[in-house]
Amino acid sequence: MNARSTRGLVIAVFAAAAGCVAGGGYDEGGVDVGVGYGVGFYEPYGYEYGGWGPGYGVGPPRRGFGRPGHPDARGAPHASYRPAPSSRSMPSLPTRSRGR
Amino acid sequence: MTGKHFFNGAIPTRASLGLLLGLAIMAGAAAAAGPSFVLPPLVQPASAERHTGKVIWADLVTPDIVAAKRFYGSLFGWSFNDIHVGDSDYSVARLDGRPVGGLYQPHTGAGEQRQPAWLTFISVRDVAAAERAIVAHGGKVLSRPKSYADRGRQAVFADPQGAVFAVLQSSSGDPQDFLAVPGEWIWSSVLTRDPDTDAAFYQNVFGYDVFDIPSDDGSQHVLLSTDDYARASLNKLPADAAKRHPHWLNFVRVESATDTAAKVEALGGRVLVKPFTDRHGGLVAVVADPAGAPFGLLEWTETDSKEGAK
Repeated sequence: MNARSTRGLVIAVFAAAAGCVAGGGYDEGGVDVGVGYGVGFYEPYGYEYGGWGPGYGVGPPRRGFGRPGHPDARGAPHASYRPAPSSRSMPSLPTRSRGR
Repeated sequence: MTGKHFFNGAIPTRASLGLLLGLAIMAGAAAAAGPSFVLPPLVQPASAERHTGKVIWADLVTPDIVAAKRFYGSLFGWSFNDIHVGDSDYSVARLDGRPVGGLYQPHTGAGEQRQPAWLTFISVRDVAAAERAIVAHGGKVLSRPKSYADRGRQAVFADPQGAVFAVLQSSSGDPQDFLAVPGEWIWSSVLTRDPDTDAAFYQNVFGYDVFDIPSDDGSQHVLLSTDDYARASLNKLPADAAKRHPHWLNFVRVESATDTAAKVEALGGRVLVKPFTDRHGGLVAVVADPAGAPFGLLEWTETDSKEGAK
């Protein structure tokens, strides 16, 4: 290795080290090196809510809602998912309050 | 061998090369120790509690973080801790000192118009494994896994229908399963064209138990559950679904959906769905903040948590 190539190597090492930091990116498996937050996503337009109203249930059910024995309890016919056993009660939200 | 000799053209020894490499690494480390983007841990003190499939965080992506803080602070009594690093503006929203979500104003080009939205974060034990499962079952990677000191590791995806969501492997554990208080997130729904196949996707990725929910309107509604708690529902978009974009929608618990919806309008937001009685007997509504980010309002009482029949 001659002096010129060694000098080039050293400069390259410095440049690489500086570049890794200045880029502010993230490596797979790495930790945020501190230039910003990179998880913000705007979504496509198209949020419309017409057609909602009575009958269009969207919130959580009460525990045991519609189960067991309800005709829909076994899941939709030919469902792509694996429905929970019909013997299981419909889950709901946690009941425990903080500090209780 | 000295630096002077070296830079005068002499051939360096291994020792001097090692010294230079060390200096290079130190220079990099010093630069890295500059401004840092540190998010608070989800849980303090940290715990070993894990609830895969639970919605554990939400980030608002907005073009106006100042207006967003004014709106949500007035509406829910949230307070904020700002983090400004580089060209990122982020603020942690808190309710009674507890972190409830993040507000983020990303840098965008002049004239760009985008849909502001709340990004939903679902708990996973291993982000890399979740990424593999999501891709294997038809999802799309929008942001590869990234780590944030104190927060954990997270990534952003779209489900096969296009609904955007994130996963988070919290480094401090997951929040315990408490009933949300007014002003906290209490519920999440995926509005989708195909609840059936979407349910299979989420079940394969997160291991949910899936329950079909009887509905009065004849459309398909599905419940996702882990730990014997309801985590989210999948709802079929109403009739003209082709014009609508599938998405996650998160709900904040409120004492009165009617009063809160009125306050949303007074603060410059909009009511997208007027309060109506949902299947649990309480009112729900959908509103949008002044920038247009939608979210839900949900009334829930202690009585609603008890065993009940349709």
